[in-house]
Amino acid sequence: MSLMAVVFTGILLFAVGAAGFVLRGNALVLLLCIEIMLNAVNLVLAGFSRYLYGTEGQVFIFVIMAAGAAAAAVGLAVVAALRRRLGTADMNRINALKG
Amino acid sequence: MMNTLLFWALAGTAAASALAVVVFRNPVNGVMALLVNLLATAGLYLLMGAPGIALFQVILYVGAVLVLFLFAVMVLDWKTGGPPFVVPLKPLTAGAAAVVLAGGGAAFLAGNRLFPRTGLPEGPPGPGPGIREIALDLFTRHLLVFELASVLLLAAAVGAVLIVRKERKRS
Repeated sequence: MSLMAVVFTGILLFAVGAAGFVLRGNALVLLLCIEIMLNAVNLVLAGFSRYLYGTEGQVFIFVIMAAGAAAAAVGLAVVAALRRRLGTADMNRINALKG
Repeated sequence: MMNTLLFWALAGTAAASALAVVVFRNPVNGVMALLVNLLATAGLYLLMGAPGIALFQVILYVGAVLVLFLFAVMVLDWKTGGPPFVVPLKPLTAGAAAVVLAGGGAAFLAGNRLFPRTGLPEGPPGPGPGIREIALDLFTRHLLVFELASVLLLAAAVGAVLIVRKERKRS
């Protein structure tokens, strides 16, 4: 496996995640797509860390994982609040900024 | 050779399960597909000589974040009607995604061909950085980032509790 293969896989995963984020309406699925995109970025960082022999890539991955966990926690709380308050979590039907 | 086969098998699994997350209508199925995706990515990390990252992937993502997602699915009771798969092909956005993917890949390849000196190394230069080096780096040079990450997690936890709680108090 070359670094090109790793980067290709990362681009593919990121594109799938981004497409899902744009195309799907369910708020929970949007959060899942965000996690996919974070993972794609982590994959590319790990690849570069391996091939260029640096520790920074893996340190970045730790930080991104922490940020992803925080995003998941806050995002799920927001989804739960939306669901309770508006009765739906379909992003196509939530079109008002005013609660 | 073995590594290459394993790499492509894992990469294919990851891509297929990522597509499944997008396509499944029911969020439970989406979470399960994401589980497959995360495990395949953990395998890729192992292949790339980053066992620490693979370990944290399994413990943190599969063990904590996905369980959180499952709890959310369970508590919120998603009623789903219709077929189990959605194919959300709005032509404009699908076309834009395809263009971005193809353009990104092509630009990357072209850049690698045009600037061979700054291009990618062909093979890995020996074993990757060990977990000891990473830990030393994390706790010395990148200590501030580490501490900021802990503050971020604390703020996220408090924020999540506040968001859910305020809603409960009002209703």
